[in-house]
Amino acid sequence: MKRITILTGHYGSGKSEIAVNMAIQEKLDWLIDLDIINPYFRSRSVRALLEGNGIELIESTIENAAGSDLPFISPKGSRPFVKRDIHAVYDLGGTQHGAKVMMQFRDFIKHPEDIDFLVVVNIFRQETDSAEKIIKMVHELEATSQLRVTGFINNSNLMEYTDESMIEAGQRIIFEASEALKRPIVYTYIEEHVKTTKVFAGDNKVLIRHLAKQWL
Amino acid sequence: MAKVLMKGNEAMALAAIKGGCDAFFGYPITPQNEIPEYLSYHMEENDRIFVQAESEVAAINMVYGAAGAGARVLTSSSSPGIALKQEGISYIVGSELPCVIINVMRGGPGLGGIQPSQGDYNQITRGGGNGDYHMMAFAPETLQETVDVVKESFDLADYYRNPVMIAVDGLIGQMMEPVDIDKAIPKRDLPEKTWAATGESGKRGSRNKIVSLHLDPYDLEKHNLKLKEKYDKMVENEQRYEMISTDDAEIILVAYGSMARIARSAVKALREEGIKVGIIRPITIWPFPEKAFVDLPESVHTLLTLEMSLGQMLQDVKIVNQGRYELAFYGRAGGVVPETDEIIEQVRKYVGGKK
Repeated sequence: MKRITILTGHYGSGKSEIAVNMAIQEKLDWLIDLDIINPYFRSRSVRALLEGNGIELIESTIENAAGSDLPFISPKGSRPFVKRDIHAVYDLGGTQHGAKVMMQFRDFIKHPEDIDFLVVVNIFRQETDSAEKIIKMVHELEATSQLRVTGFINNSNLMEYTDESMIEAGQRIIFEASEALKRPIVYTYIEEHVKTTKVFAGDNKVLIRHLAKQWL
Repeated sequence: MAKVLMKGNEAMALAAIKGGCDAFFGYPITPQNEIPEYLSYHMEENDRIFVQAESEVAAINMVYGAAGAGARVLTSSSSPGIALKQEGISYIVGSELPCVIINVMRGGPGLGGIQPSQGDYNQITRGGGNGDYHMMAFAPETLQETVDVVKESFDLADYYRNPVMIAVDGLIGQMMEPVDIDKAIPKRDLPEKTWAATGESGKRGSRNKIVSLHLDPYDLEKHNLKLKEKYDKMVENEQRYEMISTDDAEIILVAYGSMARIARSAVKALREEGIKVGIIRPITIWPFPEKAFVDLPESVHTLLTLEMSLGQMLQDVKIVNQGRYELAFYGRAGGVVPETDEIIEQVRKYVGGKK
């Protein structure tokens, strides 16, 4: 994998859960939460878990103000772009509005080859249930972030109801967008409870839900 | 239609469109912003009206106007924003107009915080506005139930010519769950809105007027008694609740919304240990489901009320209990959501009854 992964997509596509899973599974150094859209279910709720895994969490909030919905972005978010020994995942807020925060780092990105800018897609979200809508979203994300999308993550799921056929359905639709835009499916995330022996597009990863509470 | 994965706020917005909402008037506030955001795109697509008003007060008065013209109208806000709408709500009730109000509750009082809470129970069930009035208030537990009651609320509002509130805590607004948005819901036979001020009523020889002003006290009392008849009908016909594992229960938890979800997971764990605990889950918080408390099994000794507030629904439980069972309470406030283990620990205190 590239040294830096930036996760973008529609809200509710599963970016934050994937960021946490990726940071732990790939033993990354930093998780940078740049979500200025979502007030709840943020990576800050798993700070202890991340720290226990040796991952530093850079939050998009003011210290001791976890309940704040001020759109604050840590200036430390720029560091992985210039310090090439930091392996990091960025978790952006949903839609093109959430992706806009990348603009401010544009001048620091000297090594675009270090970066994967990936769009997380769940086709069971209304706003990304067709290749046409996904392609439109990619263009919007690129326009506001000023970054080129390098690939897709298939995270098609209906939570506890997810089965193999839903992941396949997701792959079919995302593949259409992937073909049209010539960007690969880089990962498929599969919820831990899904029974499958199939190999899906890209690297196949297990998704454990850390942000949703046990009773949700 | 098959299930889709939706965020609570989006699901409520789409459900409103499916429920036949003609117009939305609102003003942004966390944690319900996805409702106006979603509607700002999708109302126009469906040839409906969306207006972001200049304030909550303006929004509720736009609702008042549009409802008076016979439209199916929605507004949404969160606790302090709902407080601002109270005057308008009282006028809408007084003028016997239908509308649906979504309240995605956050911690209070005052500006409070943006984390989930159930602290508006009194504001909702006791009325924040003036005068003798009530409105039906649903407090659903899952996104499917939320979608279903939002759709049904438009019919209920028209049926009673009275506002209906959907009261969820911030978690229900922000969480994601699969929903079938087209699931069939009960429909009412609704008469034509011959009372609406459409600009056409003069053609029938008399003008329709939307008023809440009655200067003659006898006339106003008559109006109040007419409204009371509607409230009595709602109390008789619209109480909704779910009884969960209560048949042999010794301890019954009383909880709604997200708190009921946590209670459910606590009951599951406690039942595995053989502890006989169940849940009364109010689905309407007004009318309060007093019928649920009438015929409880002889095994019951304690009712433990659980809230994400500090003893508001507890007052209603006291009223319906009439001294029959021991009452206990546990609540968190300010946006703190209890963990399942915390609830389990509370229940354990009451196993075996009063020592």
